[in-house]
Amino acid sequence: MKFRQLTALFIVVVIIAFTAIGCTSPGTEESNAPKENVHKEGNQEEVITLKIYAQYSDDDTRIPYDYAVEQLKDAYPNVKLELDIQAQDDGQKLQIYAATGNLPDIFQVGTSQIKTLKESDNILVLDDYVKSTGFDKKIHPSAENLLWNQDGHAYAFPYAGNELVLLYYNKAIFEEHGVKVPETYEDLKEAVVKFKEVDIIPLSIFAKEKWITTALYDVFATRLEAGGIKKLDEGKGSAKEKSYVEAANRLHELVKLGLLADGATNMNYDQAASLFYEGKAAMFINGQWEIQASTEKLGENVDWMFYPVFSEKPEAKYAFAGGAASGGYAVSPYSEHKDLAAEVAAFMSEKYCEAKYLYRANPLLALKIDPSLEPIEKFPPMMEKLANELPNIKSTTAFAWGLTEPKFKVAIEDQSQFLLTPGYTPEEFIEELEKTVERLKK
Amino acid sequence: MQKFFSNKKAIAIFVLPSLILFIVVVFYPLIQIFIKSFYEWNGLSKGTFIALENYTRLFEDSTFETSIKNGLIFATFLTIYQIGLGTILAFAASNIKTKTGGFFRIVYFLPVVLSVTVVCQLWLSVFNAEYGLLNKLFEILGIDFSQDWLSDRNNAIFVVAFVNAWQYLGYQFALILAGIKSIPTHYYEAAQIDGASPLQAHLKITIPMLAETYRFCLVLAITGGLNAFTQMFIMTNGGPGTSTYTLTYMMYSSAFRAGEYGYGMASASFLVIQCLIATIVINKLIARERIVY
Repeated sequence: MKFRQLTALFIVVVIIAFTAIGCTSPGTEESNAPKENVHKEGNQEEVITLKIYAQYSDDDTRIPYDYAVEQLKDAYPNVKLELDIQAQDDGQKLQIYAATGNLPDIFQVGTSQIKTLKESDNILVLDDYVKSTGFDKKIHPSAENLLWNQDGHAYAFPYAGNELVLLYYNKAIFEEHGVKVPETYEDLKEAVVKFKEVDIIPLSIFAKEKWITTALYDVFATRLEAGGIKKLDEGKGSAKEKSYVEAANRLHELVKLGLLADGATNMNYDQAASLFYEGKAAMFINGQWEIQASTEKLGENVDWMFYPVFSEKPEAKYAFAGGAASGGYAVSPYSEHKDLAAEVAAFMSEKYCEAKYLYRANPLLALKIDPSLEPIEKFPPMMEKLANELPNIKSTTAFAWGLTEPKFKVAIEDQSQFLLTPGYTPEEFIEELEKTVERLKK
Repeated sequence: MQKFFSNKKAIAIFVLPSLILFIVVVFYPLIQIFIKSFYEWNGLSKGTFIALENYTRLFEDSTFETSIKNGLIFATFLTIYQIGLGTILAFAASNIKTKTGGFFRIVYFLPVVLSVTVVCQLWLSVFNAEYGLLNKLFEILGIDFSQDWLSDRNNAIFVVAFVNAWQYLGYQFALILAGIKSIPTHYYEAAQIDGASPLQAHLKITIPMLAETYRFCLVLAITGGLNAFTQMFIMTNGGPGTSTYTLTYMMYSSAFRAGEYGYGMASASFLVIQCLIATIVINKLIARERIVY
């Protein structure tokens, strides 16, 4: 009995000890260390720590961030960034930060979040800083619309340019089964039927993520309406217009023919991408940032195709889905060092672009790149092809995160995912979408 | 002790901390939910009073209808699976007098202590339409019953409900088993002398004596079903489309994805009222009087 009591006592003491250690804040640890917010010996300059809320989850976000931070050390030796990794949560964490008055000094923000934050005075107007930092001179003329909001003010320093939705395909599979790379909707239909016959998934999609289902519908919508879903987001059209109805009908027709893998709406990126890389799927849909990963996995066997056109509008070949979003690095109006934070935000944005160009083979950027800089590796052939075609592209739309109206974003995301299930009808899709469009017009 | 209970100040001092905590953490937010449901509010700015507009919109919204239906399906599924199977397993475990009884008690309770994320990932692998264990099993057995388990708008909610029911079955099992253990054995001895079979003894003694335990289990299962969220958040993201939305998910989607906090609060208010009514009805109808033999 005594042994048991002793054991219990020991366990309780251990638990309390570990809990106490766990509850110790990092601040306690640092309290003995020399404070950084003190004057440095030598240059007598104060080290200022700025909190930054930014993406840092994969190579496409980690590499540019690390590069920008390294460059910052030289340009602003008195600034230290404290990174808070952005959650993939539709901006919930940022909203909570704003609601509780804890906004970081600098934060990455999307188009729809800008709307909410500016309505509640939780985002700094950067008009003056755009000029003082020379950001307006560095931005590509084609990306000016990303810098300036619809109300004429700048709220974030953008870095991403006009990114696009691409339809990738495995050349070897198409050749092996004698399938023509689809140029029209009819070709695509024929390809779907042929691939199904030989037990190959025609199109792999990570449709558990609703932005890509939105992008797929947008690809079809741009066949007859160059504005795609962006036009509806801006409240300019109706979901009952022929272009949107036809897009829904034809996409659904292909879904019923077996366009997608079983359980596609529950598939994540890794699962969908592996189907494509392993040669189990003939096509794959993603943004142009997929170029590098696909090239690494499939080498010369991978390419992207123009979206197949509808016979009613063959000239839609150069109408692309995707586009730029007026997001980027924003600054809190309540930052203790808001002038410095705005400067650093502009700097980070510029260096982010540089890193994407140098290390991620991505020339689709918001800012001009110093011509003396050369990419570390040669652009993959698919990127070369895209770069050559860029001047011919007549229109782009928007990715889900680039939509300005969050209510429309939720509706199109939910409904486009629904449309990819055979049990849902295009009529239901149009009716539900139209309800939201009508509500937003009121 | 008698003296302590007559000292009102002492009672107030001891009750006050938990009362304050309850008011701050539960009561105040609950009141705020109802107040904000009458506003058009983006969660940050002041908001505009729009009276009952959010509620009238709720009744015109097909997602609301789906959410209500899914909540009821979820609650019914949990009740039947957890209380039904929990009762059978508890009866069986209570009859095992050897050490294996303890083993079963641990095994049945094990999923309860596992992380929800782990459990959901486990079942996601089982229900995967392409590589899932379940479809492969049907394939091996030559049964043509492979399904798109989580991508079918009609079936997905049942699959998600099953995962929740499976994980928390052990909790209901433990409650029922504890109830069984608290029944004095001499009732069974008396029944045995009167010639009752074990089944008759359970039907006439155990189940009626467990009425209060069942009442508690029922409240847990039904309110747990009505406000289910985590499983659909991890497994389906409310999809395909909106087919696995519940009122809680609808609140989340409206408030955090669409930035319509007022509308989200309206669905939350409806959920609170729904759970309250369910609890009151269960308490009124079940175990109204304590059974004493």
